[in-house]
Amino acid sequence: MTAAGLPHESRLSDAFVSLLGRECVRDARADEIGVARVIVEPATIGEIAEVVQKCARDRLTLAPLGGGRILAQIRREPVSVGLALRRCARVVAYEPEDLTVAVEAGLTVGQLNELAGGKGQRLAVDPPLPERTTIGSLIAAARSGPLRLSEGTVRDLLIGIKYIGREGRVVNAGGRVVKNVTGYDLMKVMTGSYGTLGVIVEAAFKMRPVPANYTVALAGFARLEEAFDAAFRSSHGAPLLHCEIVSRRIGLALPGSPASANDRRFLLIAGLGGTRAEVDYQLTQIRGAVGTLIEALDGAAAEAVYHAIRDCPAAEATIGARIVVAPSALAGALEAAGAEFCAHAVSGIAQLFLDDVDEQAAHEAVARWRALAHRAGGHLTVVAARDSVRAGLSMFDEPGAGALALMRRLKAAFDPSNIFNPGCYVGGI
Amino acid sequence: MQKQIDPRVMAELREILDPAGVVSRPGELNVYECDGWTIEKSVPQLLLRPRSTAEVSALLRVLHRHNLPFVPRGAGTGLSGGCLPLAPVMICTSRMNRILAIDARNRRIEVESGVVNLNVSAAVKGAGLFYAPDPSSQAACTIGGNIAENSGGPHTLKYGVTTNHVLGVEIVLPDGEVVELGGSIEEPCGYDLVGAVVGAEGTMGIVTRATLRLLREPETHRTLLAIFDQVEAATRAVSAIVASGIIPGAIEMIDHLIIRAVVDAFHVELPLAAGAVLIIELDGLGAGIDEQAGRVTEMVRASGASEVRLARDEAERALLWKARKRAFGAVGRLAPNYATHDGVVPRTRLPEILQRITRISQSHQLSIGNVFHAGDGNIHPIVLYDERDPDQVRRAIAAGHDILKACVELGGSLSGEHGIGVEKINQMPLVFTPEDLAAMVELRHVFDPDERSNPGKVIPQPGACVEVAAPRRQAAL
Repeated sequence: MTAAGLPHESRLSDAFVSLLGRECVRDARADEIGVARVIVEPATIGEIAEVVQKCARDRLTLAPLGGGRILAQIRREPVSVGLALRRCARVVAYEPEDLTVAVEAGLTVGQLNELAGGKGQRLAVDPPLPERTTIGSLIAAARSGPLRLSEGTVRDLLIGIKYIGREGRVVNAGGRVVKNVTGYDLMKVMTGSYGTLGVIVEAAFKMRPVPANYTVALAGFARLEEAFDAAFRSSHGAPLLHCEIVSRRIGLALPGSPASANDRRFLLIAGLGGTRAEVDYQLTQIRGAVGTLIEALDGAAAEAVYHAIRDCPAAEATIGARIVVAPSALAGALEAAGAEFCAHAVSGIAQLFLDDVDEQAAHEAVARWRALAHRAGGHLTVVAARDSVRAGLSMFDEPGAGALALMRRLKAAFDPSNIFNPGCYVGGI
Repeated sequence: MQKQIDPRVMAELREILDPAGVVSRPGELNVYECDGWTIEKSVPQLLLRPRSTAEVSALLRVLHRHNLPFVPRGAGTGLSGGCLPLAPVMICTSRMNRILAIDARNRRIEVESGVVNLNVSAAVKGAGLFYAPDPSSQAACTIGGNIAENSGGPHTLKYGVTTNHVLGVEIVLPDGEVVELGGSIEEPCGYDLVGAVVGAEGTMGIVTRATLRLLREPETHRTLLAIFDQVEAATRAVSAIVASGIIPGAIEMIDHLIIRAVVDAFHVELPLAAGAVLIIELDGLGAGIDEQAGRVTEMVRASGASEVRLARDEAERALLWKARKRAFGAVGRLAPNYATHDGVVPRTRLPEILQRITRISQSHQLSIGNVFHAGDGNIHPIVLYDERDPDQVRRAIAAGHDILKACVELGGSLSGEHGIGVEKINQMPLVFTPEDLAAMVELRHVFDPDERSNPGKVIPQPGACVEVAAPRRQAAL
């Protein structure tokens, strides 16, 4: 659609002012500029449905924004309407004794975990910057962090969903119980769908207990292969909470400058949880598996290191990407990638990034990384590209032809007017 | 009435398979008239047993050309009528039973869909690994059937159900096209279509191959048997354990009626006078497990357990699990027929749902036993009846409906792990709006636009209510 065919910004916002009231409509700001031409902030799920209905009627494109950070990296041209859900941020039902919660999509992961922390529980998925990640964007972008090793990912913990689909239709799937096979699993389809199938407005999750003790074990390595071997041995010897390997720059920047990071190129960072006896026992196991200098951090020092690796700076880099390959192939891919990285070492997932590179170098890096991902049976998603290097980059990889054809059919079925965040997902969906 | 298969089509299908792959004699076909949901039965006209993806694809291409629906089947151990033949042709994957690759470093296994669940764990035991979903039928049921039903089992409390362990599938779409979804990697490229196929009850095509995640075996176990006079006290103990932040590998409950059957059948030392027992299995590191077992024992005692026993060795542990997993088999001693339900409630509502089940049992004058995954809130009331008495059948069906309605009223759902099949199809509107169901149908149509793969399952036709009224009823197409 060309800009000439679109209503002017002021007419566009007037239309939504008359629908929702002046306080619910505003201009795009910060990361939202370039993502959406006008921002609406509905206060209820009913209002969100009205916005979607209006967009469907008037053939206006729309995208749910979260904080706008993720779409700012992905969208090439703005949609007409950005939906910010900060007013839809209620806790619908928190049942600590059932370890379940239902929340509206505008709540942030940080807010939810602040509440749950009082009960010794947490939503055990840890995307970068949880205090800025809404539940909606957590599901839509599905960037599960280090805890994936022990707790699973968004798809494993999401037990129910409500979204606004085609023509403003309210759709529910799943429920609020921890085990449920009633009806098709629309939760899975919405997870990682980047707002292309509808607007997620409410979600229910399994909650998990926070371990009584948390210790971070660190070990430095000169060779990447050694670090990965140690990670696999460690994770086989102990039920680790997380197991990350980071490149030198990340290691040196960790709070408290761990001694292990000095003189070593790669740092293994393993999280241990449980009773004191369990943690001590796991430390012994890891020492045996790693066979080298190990530092152990507890309390605030451990938390600070964990936050630093969770919030891996790839998203702030000149060019950053998420590579997903078979776990045993990750070391080889990273060796050849020539980039800084934070790796979920035994899950086959890493964030790669480079700073201060020009457009040509950035494009060459993405092409090289992508080739490495493909050779290792995986794929690569660009998660950060500064304006100076973005032109002409394809952010998503393409699945096989058969799978892509099904995905196009799914998009056509769920969004026949092609208004939900169109044109920036896999295969141009 | 089912559409009769044209003899020419029959010949085309026969040509694709070896002689042992085609079953068409009425006597032999009777075996396939139902799964574990025996209230409804329907004999297929033709059973096809392909040995490869290529054969499945060739068969489906022929069926597509002639617009014939088909029913996929694994081992037929399902409990909701998921493979009840509501189509003339049944395609059984049980001969596709090869383990294709074991990758211990990445903790993956690639199998054909006819591989039996228990054989997966057996194949990787030497590497210290196991496949987590462990339905009670695991010695017989297939991975393909598990994927269709998103099967669970006792240990899913800690480890999750099938969908949490399937990374990739090869599926043959109803038009015969073979598509790879997911792979050996942790996150898919694009939409999570593997997640859509798992639990779709065979309504999106036939899964022929799967890449599964394996877990490392826990270092050690402690298996406790807690004995209660009253079933309510046992359910309170379950809530207390879950809320305490300890997540056991499994918490299973067996009530008085089932204890009696199990003791008779397996000579297990369960107390006949008990109102209920809990089997609580903790797993993890040797370093912390006795402390956990101590805390659980305290909580269970505080909730009213009269006695707590710890399995002394692997043999005692195995005996307890044998009693639990074969409980359904023992139920045959109690009545000629039984129907097992699979509702789920928030765990804290277990005391209420069991009270309601007692009242439902009284009002329909039928015995109902309970043996279930208490830690998940996933109940399995077993309604006992005699199919020779039409009135009992009618009451059994009504009791099942009342139980599911009660689950939904308490904030729960219709099925925790057995699937909707035909059994619960009429209850779907208790949980979902027409809009919800419409979206689900749209998802199904992405894979199967003509609704030829396992027709008549999961999603009710708008306005239609399939009447389940009599045993041996020929189900309508």
